[in-house]
Amino acid sequence: MKLMFKTKAILVVAFFNALLVSAVVNAAPPDPIAGKAKAQTCFACHSENGISISPDIPNLAAQPPLSITYQLIQFRGQQRKGGGMEAITMILSDQDIRDIAAYYAELPAPPAKSGNADKIAKGQQIAGAQYCNSCHGPQLQGQKHIARLAGQSPEYLTTQLKNIRSGARIDMDGTMGSAARGLSDEDIEALASYAASLN
Amino acid sequence: MKLKTIHALMFAAGMAVATLATAQAPAATPAIPATWAQGRTADGMNPALSPNPPGISALPADEIPVSKLKVPAGFKVELWASGMPNGRSMTEAPSGTVFVGTRFTGNVYAVVTKDGKREVKTIAKGLHRPNGVAFANGSLYVAELSRIIRYDNIEQNLDNPPAPVVVFDALPKDEPHGWKYMKLSPDGQYLYFQIGTPANIVVPPATHATLNRLNLKTNVMEVVATGVRNSVGMDFQPGSKELWFTNNGRDWAAEDKPGDTLNRLVRPKGMNFGYPFCHQGDFLDPEFGKGRSCDEFDKPVYNLGAHVAALGMRFYNGKQFPAEYKGNIFIAEHGSWNKTQRVGYQVVRVVLDSKNNVVKSEPFITGWLDGDKFWGRPVDVQMLKDGSMLVSDDETGAIFRVSYAK
Repeated sequence: MKLMFKTKAILVVAFFNALLVSAVVNAAPPDPIAGKAKAQTCFACHSENGISISPDIPNLAAQPPLSITYQLIQFRGQQRKGGGMEAITMILSDQDIRDIAAYYAELPAPPAKSGNADKIAKGQQIAGAQYCNSCHGPQLQGQKHIARLAGQSPEYLTTQLKNIRSGARIDMDGTMGSAARGLSDEDIEALASYAASLN
Repeated sequence: MKLKTIHALMFAAGMAVATLATAQAPAATPAIPATWAQGRTADGMNPALSPNPPGISALPADEIPVSKLKVPAGFKVELWASGMPNGRSMTEAPSGTVFVGTRFTGNVYAVVTKDGKREVKTIAKGLHRPNGVAFANGSLYVAELSRIIRYDNIEQNLDNPPAPVVVFDALPKDEPHGWKYMKLSPDGQYLYFQIGTPANIVVPPATHATLNRLNLKTNVMEVVATGVRNSVGMDFQPGSKELWFTNNGRDWAAEDKPGDTLNRLVRPKGMNFGYPFCHQGDFLDPEFGKGRSCDEFDKPVYNLGAHVAALGMRFYNGKQFPAEYKGNIFIAEHGSWNKTQRVGYQVVRVVLDSKNNVVKSEPFITGWLDGDKFWGRPVDVQMLKDGSMLVSDDETGAIFRVSYAK
């Protein structure tokens, strides 16, 4: 009887400890393990390994964490639209977003994709002339809140660059809009092949 | 010297792709680098520097470490309002409602105080860089990137704001330095705002790198000053009614120059503050300054320091702070990115003498910067009718209030 009472007391204490922990979880640093649990919905399209199931859907593996965070916040705020992401992100807290971003950021980068060598060379030339590496990094691996383009699906990159060029996709600070404005469809496809060919 | 060599090597490595590409064939379409990278040179500064990601979300109130903020003895700083992603420029309506513009989220907020409690309402969404806000005759004016709009009878309709009236829509559409700071003149006749230079360092079109004003009666716009790279803070001095403004210096020249400046419009028209030829009144541009002299241009009142990002400023004309604060200028420094060791991330106090000379400048609110990390970035200051001062922070999406009690 006495023992049972004690057990009960311990359980009660444990319960309140758990409550305490959950109360401060908002202020916690990004947690990739929690992120994996929260990313279950994402897996259906972006996969558990961050390599998407379809060329129209972006690979998230090894994206800079802030890059994922910023896109999810913009989907949630309905500033960026597409793929039903506005509805999916509606229920996410900032901490959920940071955790999910931390999970995908830690995964191995997508493999380089082979493609037409001439197209890739042309893409490399345009990437140089357009200074893509000043923000996206020397190997287009991304940095801070700027997306990784290396190993990304070329179909997805083509669609996004066209959407930025037309204004259909939000342009965070005008930089991408002015970069995309002078590009032809062929330029965009070449850039996408080049980025996809990197790892 | 050694550091410089390393930087040059890092830069060369970073640009290897570009160089290789240029060697193969000329680009089909001419392109310019991203604004922030324009003006960077191979033998210049640390090439690893790049801008801070903008603040686009708001921290929950209980996560904002307001206790880290330090103010002089006798002053108190508290969290006043929160939950405003990217909240930046502020203006107070006569009723006490504070309106807040944004640059990246496209929102405009209203902060209403009722029974001692504050409520934040998002009164506009989806605007294009609505950074500038001003209040006149019951209407809220908002400066977007390329137009000025107006919300009439806004205070009676905060929960269901009317569609805005377009006041002026012929402003340039350049994104770089295209967001506006806007200030109503003391006579209520004019809206003053800047048109920033469309790059880091270029010879701008005649329309750009200017201060302008729009006559609210005639809708005529005119240039009031030129050679101003980008001013994101201005205020009229009580008494003299002169316009004073901050100006952001160019990047990639050096870690320690040119400085951001505090300036004064002593002539209502025709002053030229030197950009792109001369910076901070005495520093010829390494490229565009050739064959020019700083004597050709008007000088700033004060050099606030390189890369501090001096933005919002207000004169203190209230009765709450001690007497020596009267007539002082408070300036929000958003904080640096184009400098290896971070500077700014504070609110400074500039003390003037009776002849408008700067006697001293000193930090007034510090603590946003913690070593090499920052948790907040002050953007604008606003004096309330009770004599206290608000500071907006676009990193936490919050507004702080500084008050004084004997």
